[in-house]
Amino acid sequence: MRSEAGATLPLKAAAIGGLLFLHIPLALIVLYAFTTEEKSFQFPPPGLTLRWFGAAWFDRPDIWGPLWLSLQVALLATLIALVLGTLAAAALWRARFFGKDSLSLLFILPIALPGIITGIALRSAFDIMSVPFSTWTIVLGHATFCIVVVYNNALARFRRLSPGMIEASMDLGASGAQTFRYVILPQIGSALLAGGMLAFALSFDEVIVTTFTAGQQATLPIWMLNELIRPRQRPVTNVVALIVIAVTFLPILAAYYLTREGEHTGGAGK
Amino acid sequence: MTASPATPVPRGGLSDFFHRNPGLLTLALLLPPLLWIGIVYIGSLLALLLQSFYSLDEFSGTVVHEFTLTTYGHLFTATNLTIILRTAVMAALVTVASALIAFPIAYYAARYARGGWKALFYLAVMMPLWSSYLVKVYAWKLILAKEGIISWVAEKLHLGWVIDGLLSLPVIGGPSLSFSYIGTFIVFVYIWLPYMILPTQAALERVPKDFVEAAADLGASPSQTFRTVILPLSLPGVVAGSIFTFSLTLGDYIIPQIVGNSRPFIGTTVYALQGTAGDIPLAAAFTVVPVVIMGVYLIIARRLGAFDAL
Amino acid sequence: MTFTKTAITSLAAIAAAAGIAMAQEARTEIGPGEGQVDIVAWPGYIERGETDKNFDWVTGFEKETGCKVNVKTAATSDEMVTLMNQGGFDLVTASGDASLRLVAGRKVQPINIALIKDWDTLDKRLKEAPWHTVDGVHYGVPYQWGPNVLAYNTRVFKDTPKSWSVVFEEQTLPDGKSNKGRVQAFDGPIYVADGALFLMKTRPELGIKNPYELNQAQFDAVIALLKNQRQLVGRYWHDAMVQIDDFKNEGVVASGSWPFQVNLLKADKQPVASTIPEEGATGWADTTMMHANAPHPNCAYMWLNHSLQPKLQGDLAAWFGSVPSVPAACKGNELLTDAGCATNGFENFDKIWFWRTPTAKCGVEGGCVPYSQWDKAFRQVMSQ
Repeated sequence: MRSEAGATLPLKAAAIGGLLFLHIPLALIVLYAFTTEEKSFQFPPPGLTLRWFGAAWFDRPDIWGPLWLSLQVALLATLIALVLGTLAAAALWRARFFGKDSLSLLFILPIALPGIITGIALRSAFDIMSVPFSTWTIVLGHATFCIVVVYNNALARFRRLSPGMIEASMDLGASGAQTFRYVILPQIGSALLAGGMLAFALSFDEVIVTTFTAGQQATLPIWMLNELIRPRQRPVTNVVALIVIAVTFLPILAAYYLTREGEHTGGAGK
Repeated sequence: MTASPATPVPRGGLSDFFHRNPGLLTLALLLPPLLWIGIVYIGSLLALLLQSFYSLDEFSGTVVHEFTLTTYGHLFTATNLTIILRTAVMAALVTVASALIAFPIAYYAARYARGGWKALFYLAVMMPLWSSYLVKVYAWKLILAKEGIISWVAEKLHLGWVIDGLLSLPVIGGPSLSFSYIGTFIVFVYIWLPYMILPTQAALERVPKDFVEAAADLGASPSQTFRTVILPLSLPGVVAGSIFTFSLTLGDYIIPQIVGNSRPFIGTTVYALQGTAGDIPLAAAFTVVPVVIMGVYLIIARRLGAFDAL
Repeated sequence: MTFTKTAITSLAAIAAAAGIAMAQEARTEIGPGEGQVDIVAWPGYIERGETDKNFDWVTGFEKETGCKVNVKTAATSDEMVTLMNQGGFDLVTASGDASLRLVAGRKVQPINIALIKDWDTLDKRLKEAPWHTVDGVHYGVPYQWGPNVLAYNTRVFKDTPKSWSVVFEEQTLPDGKSNKGRVQAFDGPIYVADGALFLMKTRPELGIKNPYELNQAQFDAVIALLKNQRQLVGRYWHDAMVQIDDFKNEGVVASGSWPFQVNLLKADKQPVASTIPEEGATGWADTTMMHANAPHPNCAYMWLNHSLQPKLQGDLAAWFGSVPSVPAACKGNELLTDAGCATNGFENFDKIWFWRTPTAKCGVEGGCVPYSQWDKAFRQVMSQ
């Protein structure tokens, strides 16, 4: 640390400018949750009101179905991604074999190829196999691109894991399950949490792939898409967006601190 | 299973088996995710690819299920090549701009922010990721509109001529920011920026402090240290981020519909082809384009070590 | 397989145009309701008083029948066809450029008009309309119709613009500024018909008799016109709410539009009005059609019956700016007022070229340019 000087002014300005760029639109989303306009927005808003919060809560039962579906889908997709992503990372972490690089490429592919391709490809596959659209078809699509997020986080942590610890555990008589439970999991747990959160976020806000795999059901983003092209209580979409931001604030912060601690223990093996 | 003399401590049968055959362990671990990606994803992609070798009968509008390359002939028309080029250029520009904006943020967060500030930076980058993509895009529509926030602010500051000048530029200009390529570009950069910041910051965090100190001790100026040590080591992170920004721009079909001048991109074209025109073979052939582009991109990215930085 | 279905739909559209009958038995009775009905509709077509509590033709129906109404809005006819191909819906408010495709694709079932008790109250001009009646079989119940009007900003146009040329040809508008970047056009291949209609009157030497039946030479002339228009259009409009924003915040002063947007803009105290220029207008005539595999057929029939109530027809006409399919609705409706039907174009039926799907087989010698070509050419125009 000793030789590091403080940040230069241009750097500070660029960093702060960048963050402002990220947040001014968010401020606007917040502002327009309070506007008195109902159909289309203009700037500055003609007046401010709290009534959309009441309207969202009392008058709009149509919010809850999509919200619940989105939570379900995101949860299921994240769980599948956690299992499969961790397995993939565990397998590829130390293994050395021909074609390993291609395999890692394979896991990255669903997020490296544009979502519309994933969407159309899945839909055409569902059609060919006559799979009817359901919550599971949405989950299938989401889990596919969530795996890579968990995989990457887990792999990064596995790399910092000392192989000696596993050897030691096994030599001391622990079974594979015990070694996983008491040695590996505590080490990679926080990385999985971070990966899982990111996967959850990706799934929760996904609209491109979902359009093709959802059939008649509406996830929250699809509900918003429908709302935004309809002339009714437009600020309610902002209220919902605002509430999502508010509700996720603490979990994000928690995940941050958990992964920080994880890095210290993980780094100790180095 | 009996314990062998070499390993006197008894273990569970399965664990022992895998311990002796690490290759099989790898296989057992790998099989479930591999099957998932292989069947669900690659299988679907192949099904789609197959469709591109069928063709649409011009007169009846039906898909002819016979192997043919005519659809690819239709793909390479001047109109479609323009669409592909337009999308690729947009994706490239968005990627470069994202990298330029993301780097200072990531750099500051990784090297200077400490304690609470660091948490704040993290939150600041993650929050936009969690707030609805659609609501953000519609917010931008209001910001960029002719009678929107930017014009409003510019007018207050007597800077309207700057925007007018910008909009009078050929090609990228237009009647208003939200009716021009500039608008589409800004929104793309905004929406994908966090995907660039996160891997860049992660890569910067991994630059060992010892290296930086060693460089300083050996007499390198801060700027030399930056150019010769930090930048090369963080490059994989930037390249990893660029995979996201490039690919997401390549395939998006919602942003160009809401902000821009209605000129089609690959995403909007594919969406229209499959949804409205019913020309699935051409839609499928069109998707091959971003697959090829991303394939080349990924091969280069792997050379640059980006996969370890994702 | 949806993809194949879409393709079959297009094929069958041609078959239908050639007069091939589709056989599916209509239902013979209405049983007890299934508790819900799922409808694909144009935005603004099915209102439950959420936007404005005076406009509600759903709540009463739900109370009376116990059928909960779920609406999925679609912005274009193509979107409607796609949604119906996916299935899972009971009803769709299909325009003429979707209805025959749906019939031919066997996505909709024949309607037993004996079960529609108010069938006789329908406008005579609509009862046997070719966009929902194939070989004497009715595939739906007429809902509403209306013109694609020219919406304009009254601050810029002190006098009502007389010609569509304000959106097709570069010119100086009454406020002294060019129309470049200040006009819009509909984002959909069907818009080619609007161009054809304009040329039908302004360039008679082309010999266009019907904007949906164009030979190659006529089609090329229309596309040339639209390519020229591309230079004037800042952005094409795709969904109604975005166009409202564009009139409000983006300085758009003239565009082909629906009375719906005009009404909402007027209600918002924006300086906007609409007209049908001297070239006439394209328009839509929508039919409520029932999906071949409708999961809730009884509730669907109940809605079909409900959709012809004069109160609903009148309220909807006032709300959307359209014309009721039941003339009785024109009298005594508070929201529509007695002059409403005339204002919305009740007498203009014969002047409107209703949307329909262009097919290769047509009355023009040498055949016509089919919809797939319209689609390709329009994409080319947009991409310029």
